[in-house]
Amino acid sequence: MQITFFTFTLYLSLAICLIGLTYRGWTWLKLEVGPPAERFSCGQRAAAAAQGLLRTLLSRRIFAVLKVLVLDVGLQVRILKADLRRWCMHMSIFVGVLLLVLMHALDEPLTQALFPDYASTRNPFMFLRNLGGAMVLAGVGLALYRRVRIRGLRRTTRTGDRLAMGLLALIIFSGFVLEGLQIISAPIFDQMVEDYLGTDDPEDRAALKVYWAQDFGVAFSGLKASADAEVWAQGQDLHEESCAGCHSNPRAAFVSYPLARALQSMAGVLNGMRADVWMWYVHFLACFGGLAVLPFTKFFHLIATPLQLLVGAVENPSPAAGANQQTKRVLGLDACMHCGVCTLHCSVEPVFRIMGNPSILPSEKLASVKTLAAGRLRDPEALAAVAAGSFICTSCYRCTRVCPAGIDLQDLWSASRQSLVARGFTEPHIWVRERTAAEWAAGLIAPQASPFPALKNKPRHVNLVDQTETFSACVQCQTCTNVCPVVAAAGDSARDLDLTPQQIMNLLRLGAHEMAMGARMVWDCVTCYMCQEHCPQGVKVADVMYELRNRACERLPAVKQAVHGTPLCERSSDPGRKEDRS
Amino acid sequence: MQAPETTDCELTVIGTGMAGMAAALFAANRGLSTVQVGHSGGILFASGLLDLMGVHPVAAQKVWQDPWAAIDALVRDEPHHPYARIKKEDIRAAFDELLGFLNEAGLGYRRNGERNTQVLTSLGTVKPTYAVPETMWTGAQAFANKIPCLLVDFQGMREYSARQMAAIQKERWPALQTLRVVFPDTENVAEVYTGLMAQALESPATRKKLVERVRPHAQGVEAVGLPAIFGLYRTREILADLTNGIGVPVFEIPTLPVSVPGLRLKETFEFKLPAKGIRALRQQQVLEARPSSQGGFRLGIGDKAIEHYLHTRSIILASGRFLGKGLLAERKRIRETIFDLPVSQPVSRSGWHQKSFLDPRGHAFNRAGLEVDHCFRPLDAGGRPAFPALFAAGSILAHQDWVRMKCGSGVAIATAYAAVRACLEQK
Repeated sequence: MQITFFTFTLYLSLAICLIGLTYRGWTWLKLEVGPPAERFSCGQRAAAAAQGLLRTLLSRRIFAVLKVLVLDVGLQVRILKADLRRWCMHMSIFVGVLLLVLMHALDEPLTQALFPDYASTRNPFMFLRNLGGAMVLAGVGLALYRRVRIRGLRRTTRTGDRLAMGLLALIIFSGFVLEGLQIISAPIFDQMVEDYLGTDDPEDRAALKVYWAQDFGVAFSGLKASADAEVWAQGQDLHEESCAGCHSNPRAAFVSYPLARALQSMAGVLNGMRADVWMWYVHFLACFGGLAVLPFTKFFHLIATPLQLLVGAVENPSPAAGANQQTKRVLGLDACMHCGVCTLHCSVEPVFRIMGNPSILPSEKLASVKTLAAGRLRDPEALAAVAAGSFICTSCYRCTRVCPAGIDLQDLWSASRQSLVARGFTEPHIWVRERTAAEWAAGLIAPQASPFPALKNKPRHVNLVDQTETFSACVQCQTCTNVCPVVAAAGDSARDLDLTPQQIMNLLRLGAHEMAMGARMVWDCVTCYMCQEHCPQGVKVADVMYELRNRACERLPAVKQAVHGTPLCERSSDPGRKEDRS
Repeated sequence: MQAPETTDCELTVIGTGMAGMAAALFAANRGLSTVQVGHSGGILFASGLLDLMGVHPVAAQKVWQDPWAAIDALVRDEPHHPYARIKKEDIRAAFDELLGFLNEAGLGYRRNGERNTQVLTSLGTVKPTYAVPETMWTGAQAFANKIPCLLVDFQGMREYSARQMAAIQKERWPALQTLRVVFPDTENVAEVYTGLMAQALESPATRKKLVERVRPHAQGVEAVGLPAIFGLYRTREILADLTNGIGVPVFEIPTLPVSVPGLRLKETFEFKLPAKGIRALRQQQVLEARPSSQGGFRLGIGDKAIEHYLHTRSIILASGRFLGKGLLAERKRIRETIFDLPVSQPVSRSGWHQKSFLDPRGHAFNRAGLEVDHCFRPLDAGGRPAFPALFAAGSILAHQDWVRMKCGSGVAIATAYAAVRACLEQK
């Protein structure tokens, strides 16, 4: 019954895993990130990938790939170069899991084939299994510590990350407990004696019990604590004869044995209820669960990330570059293990602290792009938030440089921005040109809802626009306009900028905030501070421009929504500036 | 937040207008360790022309050709005018020192001996002044001799019309011709700005294009007048280039403030004063002032919050009048903004102004300011120096209406000179 259930769940989880893997592989050829112009069919992409693979395997580029395989996949030099502690964390999980999978999970097909005298309770296998488990647990502990202690990481830690750490910890921990329970298990001892001990003599059995109780930690109920040395020696002889071939001293199980000692006091109850059997269920079900969810969780990076690193090792000069580019982007989405390092280095992270839009942070934006590529991001407000976050990125390349998976994040961002633009989401300074300052003002007169709820309750750190003192000194001397390089570059300021800086100051002086917000001068201002440095009256012209832009960013999208009747930034069918406002 | 740093100095000049800049220059030339505090400054409002003394009495609107004789008459009639406290040779020395500095910095000035010069303004009026920028000198000569001249203006330029100038001067100066051209690269532009045109002329390519547009029309004239846009930094080079290119002498006509000559003065002072050792705390103001226990003053300086503390032995207050925020017109009285010094002013608000805005006598409001002793120390309510080492200079001084008297730069420069000297004598 046990075996049947075990086999059934094994094959079930294996099947789920395989189906999942196939699905993920298929998405690599199917999904796309980027403008619709770059569309390729599944077949084209498969052919391009195969062609690229062949060309790589049959050329000298294979050495570059091998180098990456050894250095970046095997030794994870990329992480080592960036951060020793992170490397220790990842390496101990990586080596530990590898050891356990190859030597322990695949013991029947693999280890036994290589080592004919393999037994799970023999050294060095027993020791190595403990070592592997200890390494994984230490790694998970380190990961947990990092995610709690580093503020930036704590902020981006999601359920997926907790789930992965939790499942991994459960698998290993249940394994240790299982081994501990098996060490103290008298029923298992009895069963083994039944099967392997050549004699039925009760005295022999008693002697073996004494020896195993003392040296192997088995907890027998009702066994006398003190036994004389002669009986022990008799037990040792029997052990050498029948057991030693498969059993090394359990003290080598340096985690499980102390655990077994700790469980000794409850051994009677545990053995009575066959806790070892229960724990065995917990352990293998956790393992099979991990196997089944592998394609759908963070665990998938075990496959996608090495693949990404290898693919990244090959510059792609082939004519199929376009098709492969698409495939690589989707692979990149899967290769992200959400380690959060990109976000720790993001240049515009401070903007997130003000706006609260997670799509500003690369690690979170990637998740949004993933749902976008999968076609599951349809809510216009969510789309608008992703667009707003995407356009705050300054393309500084830092995320791409630090990504341990070698994902070309910069390419992903530029592609996802283009697909957002194709859906009608553009940057504020572009869509603000769709109407004149006066037209925006008309829409702004009525109070609008802020598209960023997080902003609503934030206190304004700078508030110049609302204070009369900001402008009271302005004498409209035009100095700001006279020194403004944007006015100089604009040609006709009335046509190209709506208003000049000094006209904007005048409007604000008159309290006509709405009139100023949509002025292209505000949006084209390069904040060079020429105006402010030159103002003879000390008016903070550039600071005011910047504040106006921020305020407009909060309010204009709602006006746009009201005007188009479509939510937020959806593109209007009429690109002309003069549109009906019904 | 970082604790504000504290600096020690001998002199703090409060103000960045003509008086503040002149005081800082004179102090630097005399080796005083000096800090200058203030916003970008009223110096931007300067027309470029430096007046000494032009009109007296104001009510009679008598224009003087000899400023020194005008000062004599003024001091006789108005013994409280700041000029009454300065010797004429000191006024001359102050001008010589300041003009020498400007000339060295590339802003040359010319004087008509000891006499005033008549300069045509962008409004078509003529203004008497003492020192004229060399870029405007040819224009002054041309006006004096009424030689045939071409006045040029630009499409899209506001408050500047060659035709208006020629029309107003028609009787006196019939040999004026006018021309409107498009300033290079502003073909489709509705409005052009002097500051931006001046920057464009820093480029030889723009100058060449401008020359090509003006030269064909400069036949038969002996000089060409353009608005004051001959660059901010390479003014001499631009003047020479345009003169060579057009083929006759070229000159600038002062425009309404804020104008390019004002920008030039600002750039020159702001660039050259620190090179002379002035520590300039620009875009900041005095937020707190109190006499310190060791003598002298402790000043809290900053934009919104205090960023520096200054221990200064002495202060020259050149914070200007209302535009410069040295004086503040409250509902009932005029107040001095930093030390709350007594301000000489009419007894009540009803005395501030005449009934008519254009009354030729001017308004009492415009003669309000600080009373000072013989070494320019503001007086307290009892008529004694308010502080032993506080001096005042420039338009904040009472008993002068510099706008109508045409003595603004002169009062600023001369009183700054006197205040710095008094400060030195105390050392």
